Amino acid sequence: MIYDIVPLIAPAVLLLAAAIGFWVPGVRPSLLSRLVEGAALVGFAAAIASACLLLAVGPYTAAAPGLQGMLVSSRVDAVSVVMLLLVSFVGWIVLRYSASYLCNEPRQGAFLSWMAATLAAVLLLVQASNLPHLVAAWIATSLCLHKLLLFYGDRIQVVRAARKKFIVARIGDVALVAAALLLVSGYGTLDIAAILTAARDGIMPAGVTWAAGFLALAAILKSAQFPFHGWLTEVMEAPTPVSALLHAGVINAGGFLLIRFADVMLLSPAILAGLVILGGFTALFGGLAMLTQSAVKNSLAWSTIAQMGFMIMQCGLALFPLALLHIVAHSLYKAHAFLASGTAVERVASIRKPGPIAIPSGRAVMRAFALALAIYAAIGFVFGFAAKPPQAIALGAILIFGVAYLLAQGLADAAPRALTRRTALYAVAASVSYFALQTGAEWITAATLPPTPQPLPLEWALLTLTVVSFGLVAVAQALFPLWSDHPAAAGLRVHLSNGLYANALFDRLIGNWSTRHPS
Amino acid sequence: MKTDCKTEFTDRQTIRMTADAAARQIPPLWPLASSVAVNPFLGQIGRTLAETGALMKRVGGFSVTMPRDWYQQRIAAGEISDEDLASALAASRHCGKPKDLFALKAAVSTKRQEPVALPTLAELAARVDGTDWPGLVAERISAWAGGYFDRGQALWAAPRGRSAWAAWRAYATHDLTPEIMGLDGFAAFVAEAPENPDEAIARASARLGLADLGSTGYFHQLLMSLGGWAQFARYELWQAELAGASDATVTDLLAIRLLWEEALFVRHEAQIADVWREVRGAHQAPLSPDAEDVIDEILQEACERGVQRRLAQTLAAPAERTGEGRPKLQAAFCIDVRSEVFRRALESIDPSIRTLGFAGFFGMTTRHRSFASDAEELRLPVLLNPALSSCSGHQSDLPRDLSTRYRARAKRAWGRFKLAAVSSFAFVEAMGPVYIGKLLRDGLGFGSARVSCDPVPRFEPELALEHRIGAAETVLRAMSLTQNFARVVLLAGHGASVVNNPHASGLNCGACGGYSGEVNARLLAGLLNDERVREGLAERGIAIPHDTVFVAALHDTTTDRVTLFEGDRPSGDHAADLKRIVQWLDKAGAVSRGERALRLPRAASQDDIARRARNWAEVRPEWALAGCQAFIAAPRDRTSRRNLAGRAFLHDYDWRQDAERGFGVLELIMTAPVVVASWISLQYYGSTVAPRIFGAGNKLLHNVVGGIGVLEGNGGTLRAGLPWQSVHDGERLAHDPVRLSVCIEAPRQAMTDILERHEGARALFENRWLHLFAMDDEGRLAYRYAGELSWEPVEETRPPHRMAAVA
Repeated sequence: MIYDIVPLIAPAVLLLAAAIGFWVPGVRPSLLSRLVEGAALVGFAAAIASACLLLAVGPYTAAAPGLQGMLVSSRVDAVSVVMLLLVSFVGWIVLRYSASYLCNEPRQGAFLSWMAATLAAVLLLVQASNLPHLVAAWIATSLCLHKLLLFYGDRIQVVRAARKKFIVARIGDVALVAAALLLVSGYGTLDIAAILTAARDGIMPAGVTWAAGFLALAAILKSAQFPFHGWLTEVMEAPTPVSALLHAGVINAGGFLLIRFADVMLLSPAILAGLVILGGFTALFGGLAMLTQSAVKNSLAWSTIAQMGFMIMQCGLALFPLALLHIVAHSLYKAHAFLASGTAVERVASIRKPGPIAIPSGRAVMRAFALALAIYAAIGFVFGFAAKPPQAIALGAILIFGVAYLLAQGLADAAPRALTRRTALYAVAASVSYFALQTGAEWITAATLPPTPQPLPLEWALLTLTVVSFGLVAVAQALFPLWSDHPAAAGLRVHLSNGLYANALFDRLIGNWSTRHPS
Repeated sequence: MKTDCKTEFTDRQTIRMTADAAARQIPPLWPLASSVAVNPFLGQIGRTLAETGALMKRVGGFSVTMPRDWYQQRIAAGEISDEDLASALAASRHCGKPKDLFALKAAVSTKRQEPVALPTLAELAARVDGTDWPGLVAERISAWAGGYFDRGQALWAAPRGRSAWAAWRAYATHDLTPEIMGLDGFAAFVAEAPENPDEAIARASARLGLADLGSTGYFHQLLMSLGGWAQFARYELWQAELAGASDATVTDLLAIRLLWEEALFVRHEAQIADVWREVRGAHQAPLSPDAEDVIDEILQEACERGVQRRLAQTLAAPAERTGEGRPKLQAAFCIDVRSEVFRRALESIDPSIRTLGFAGFFGMTTRHRSFASDAEELRLPVLLNPALSSCSGHQSDLPRDLSTRYRARAKRAWGRFKLAAVSSFAFVEAMGPVYIGKLLRDGLGFGSARVSCDPVPRFEPELALEHRIGAAETVLRAMSLTQNFARVVLLAGHGASVVNNPHASGLNCGACGGYSGEVNARLLAGLLNDERVREGLAERGIAIPHDTVFVAALHDTTTDRVTLFEGDRPSGDHAADLKRIVQWLDKAGAVSRGERALRLPRAASQDDIARRARNWAEVRPEWALAGCQAFIAAPRDRTSRRNLAGRAFLHDYDWRQDAERGFGVLELIMTAPVVVASWISLQYYGSTVAPRIFGAGNKLLHNVVGGIGVLEGNGGTLRAGLPWQSVHDGERLAHDPVRLSVCIEAPRQAMTDILERHEGARALFENRWLHLFAMDDEGRLAYRYAGELSWEPVEETRPPHRMAAVA
C-alpha cells in the first residue's frame, strides 16, 4: 500500500499547492511562495523515499488505489527514480528561486501555481507505468508550460514564440498517441513494463517499427532537434525560472521517452541509425551555432539543442545508460547556468583581465590530441576497454577529443608552465570523472536498461562517420582562431548564427511575422 | 531628382550635418561592466520639457511626463497645492498656456491623447504587405549588432577591425533571412550599396526626397528605432571625442537603418509614395509644443514646486547646531543620496562625529589596473579624462600577481572548454554532478559577493612631490576641509555587494565610473598620510595635525556595512580610535538598515538585508538612488539633524572659504557634481515616465548580450536605462519622477557669473531640467533662479510646527 503511494506523493503535493495557488493568483499571494517551495521539498523527499524503496525491494509497478492502475500508476525502477530525484531537486531550486524573483510581480500567485503544476506533470510523466498515464502526463506537461510561456502574453514576441512551440508540441502529441495506439494493439497491454519485457524477448508485432518511428518523432520534436529547434531559441520570453525548468526538466521528456522504451527502440535498427545521424548533426550544428551567439540566454538555448542532440545520438547508438547520465548531468548544469545568467556581465569583463589568450599552433593541437588519446588509453586500461561495446569506446573517443581542446590551450607556445600543468591536471580530472560517472550509470541501470547490442555493418559505418566528424570539428575548434577570422569563415558564421534559417523558414511557413494575426 | 554637381555637393554636406546632428540627439549608453547613469534627454537640454515632449511625440510616439491621473491624484492628496499650480502656471514662458488656474485644473481631469509617432517607411511597408517590418528590421539589425559590439560572450567572435557599416554590409550580404521573409533581393541591394556610408545616406536621402528636409527629426526617429544600439554607438563617439578623436559608428547605424528604409521604399514605392510625401511634410513642419504639451510641463513643474515647498520646510525647521571643538571622527562619504541615510545614522550615535559629503572619486581621476589584471578601469566621472594612472600592489606582490594570473588563465581555459563545440559534451558528462553543489550553494544563499581584497593601490608612474601636494590641496579645498582635522578622518567610497545582477555596476559609485570607490579613497588616504605631502600642504596654509590619520573605507550600500582599509595606514597608534570607530559604524549600519528595510519588499527588519544581498534571485537588493529629489551644496550644519530621507545629494561647501579664491570650487560644483547628479536624476525621470523607451525593461526577462547590455527576452534592441524593478516595487513607483532641485549656499552673483560662462550648465537650469536655489546664511531656500540670469525670492515658508517631523 505505502509502496504504491510514495512516488505519487511528489506530484500530488505540488498539484495541491498549485490548486491552492489559483485562489490567490495576484501579487504577494501571502504564504503561497513558502507553500509551493515546501511542496517541492516534500516532493524531493518523496523521490528520495522512492529511491530507498527501490533499493529495499527492487523495481516494481505500483497500483494507485481505486483506479486499478488503469489511469495513474507508478513504475519504480532505476530510470524513473533517477528522473524523479533529478526533476524534484531541480524543481525545488527553481521554485525557491521563483519565490524571490517574482516578488511583487502582478500575477505572482498564478505564476507559482503554473510552475508547480508543470513540475507535477513532469514528475507524473517520469513515473508513468502505463500508456494512458504516460500520454496524459506528456500532454499536460506541454499545456502547463504553454501557460507559463504566455505569462507575459501581451508581448508580441511571446505570442510568436508560444505559437511556434504550440504547433511543434501538438505534432509531438499526435506522434506519441500514434505510437501508444500501435504499441497497445501490437502487444495487447497498456502496461509499459510488460511491453518492454515482450520486446526484450524479441516479440515484434506488426507496426512495431512504426511505433518506434513515432516515438522517435515525438522525442525529436520534444527535444528541439534540427530542423524543429527554432521554438527553443525563442522561449526566453518567459521569466528566467521558466527557462530553467524548461531546459532542465521539460526538455528531457524526449530523451526520457527513448530511454523508457529502449527495448522497443532496439527492435528498429534503422530508426536508431536515423537518430544517430539526426542527433549527431544537431549536436555539431547546435554546438557551432552556439559559439556565434552573443546573448547569454540564446547561447544557452543553442547549447541545450546541441546537448539534446548528443543525448539523442547516444540513444541511437543504444547507449541508453549514458543518455540517462547525460540528461542528469546536463539538467543540473543548465538549471544553474540559466538561473545564474545574470553573472554574464561580470564573467565577460573578467575574461580580459589576466592578459591575452595563448593560442595553440597546429603542432600544439596535434600534441594535445596525441596526449588526450594516451590519457584515454591509460584510463581504458584501468576501467577495462575489453568489456565495453564498441559504441561506448567510440563515444569515449569523442569526449576525449573535447578534453584535447583543454590540453591544447595549455600546450600553446605562449602558455607558461604553470598554465600547462593546471590544464593537464584539469584534463585528467575531467577524464577520470567522466569514465567513473559512466561506469556508475551503467551499474545503476544494469537491471533496467537493455545492454548495447554488437554493432552490425550499418552501425560500424555510423560509428566511423560519427567519430570522424566529431574529430574534425574538435580539431577545427582547437585551431580557433587561426581560421575563424578568414573571410571564408565569416559567411559560414552568418549562416550558423542564424541556425541555417530553419527557424526563419518555419516563421515564414506559419506567417509568424504577419501583422494580421489576431493575437 | 535630377541635380547638378554643385547642389549635389552642398546637399551632401547638409545631409552629413543633419545626420551628425541627429546622432547628437541620442544619449550615450555605457557598457554594463562600468555603467553610469546618463541623462536620456542629453540631446534635448537646449529645449524645454514641453518642446521635448513635442519632439518625442513626433519621433518616438511617447510622452515625457506622467499620465494626467498621476498629477490628479497628487492634487487630491494635497501634494500639489493650488499655490504650486498657480506659481507653475505663472512661471511658464510658453504661449498658449492655460489662461488661469481654473482652466489648468480643468485640463488635469481630461485624459490626453495617446501620442503616435510619424510612421517610418518600415511601418508604411507593413501596412501594405502585412509583414511586421519594423519588428523584423530591428530584429535583424540587433542580430548583427549583438555580434559586432560583443566584448567576449561569443567564442566565435564576429570579424573585428571594420567599421560598423562595412561589418554590417558583410553580414547582410550573406544573411538570407530578409529574403525568406519576403524582401527579395535585399542581399544584392546591400552588396550594391555604396562602400562609403555617407554616400549611402546621401543616395537614400535623394531617393526618399530628404535632401531638402532640413530637419533631424526623421534621422533621429530612425536612430531611436534602434534603441540602445544607437546609444551604445553614441557612447563610442562620446569616448572618442573625450580623447580628442572622432567615431562614425552612430552615423553608420543610421546608414544601415536608412538602407532598410530605402529597400522597403523601392519595393512598395507605388503604394506608399503618396503617404510618404505627407509624412515628409509633417517632418518639415516646425516643431512647437501644443497646448497639451504646455499643460503637461506646467503640471510637472507644479509637482516639483510641491516637493520644493516641503524641502524648504524641512530646511527651515529649527535644528540644534553641531558642537564646536575638535571632532573625534570626520567621515567623508560620497554625495550619493544613499550616504545621507548612513551619515545621519552615524552622527546620531555620538555628538563628536562629523560627516562630510564629496564626490566619491575624491578627486582621484585615475585609470586603474586591479591586482593581477591588464584591464584598464576608468575610475572617474565619465565627463572627465583621467589625469592619473594607478595599479594595485607593489613590486613585492609580483609573485602573487603572477600566480593569481595563472589561476585566472586556467579558469579561463576551463571556461572555454565548457563552451566549445565537442568539448562541451565532455564537460557536461564529466562535471554535471558538480552542479548539485553549486545549485545548493546559490539556492540557499551560501555564496556571497566578493569584497575587493586587492593590495594597496599606488600611482604608476609615481607622481612628483609637487604634483602630489597640488592634488592633495585641490581635493581638500574642494571638500572645504582645511582646518579642525579630527584624529581620524575616514574617506569612504561606496560600492554595492550584489550577486547575479547584470546591473550591479549601476549600483556602484557613479563618480567612480560605475566601479566601487575603494581604490580612489585608498589613493587619497595614502596621499594625505604622506609626511612630505603634509609638509607641503602646511606651506600652502593647510595644517594637518601630526596625530591625524586618514583611513580609506568602503561603504557597502546594499548591506550598510563599512570596511576599513586599516592595513594601508603607516603606523599603529590609532588602534583604540579605530576600534571605537568600527563599533560606531556597526551601530550606524544597523540603524540605516532598519530605515531602509521599511522601503524594501520582503525585508521585515534590518536582519533581512544581508540575506537579500546574497540571494541570487533578488531583483531589488537595494533602491539605489530611487527617490532622489535634491542636491544641496552647503556646510553640513544646514542639513544635519534633519531627516532628508535618502533623497538628497549632500555636498559640503563653504563659500566663505571659496570667495577668497574666486569661487573656483563653486564653479567646479556647478559644472561637475551637479551635472552628474542631473544625469542620475533625469535617468530616473526618463525610466519612470517613459519606461518603454528610456527604461531597461523587465528584469525577469533580461538576457545579457555581448557583456555590454541587456535585451528584453529573446531579442529586440538593446535596452538602456533603469529596469522597471528599479523604479517600481510592483504596486507603486519607488521613484517620484521629479527634476532635481539644486540648492547652493552661495552669493547669487557668483552663481550667475558661473552660469554666464558655462553654456551647457546654464541650459540645464534655463530649461528647467534642474531647478536652482540660493540658500541664505540660515540654510533656508531664499531665492529661486528664474531664468535669463535673474532670481526671484522664495515666498516665506510657513513655520512648520508639526510638519518637520513628517518630512
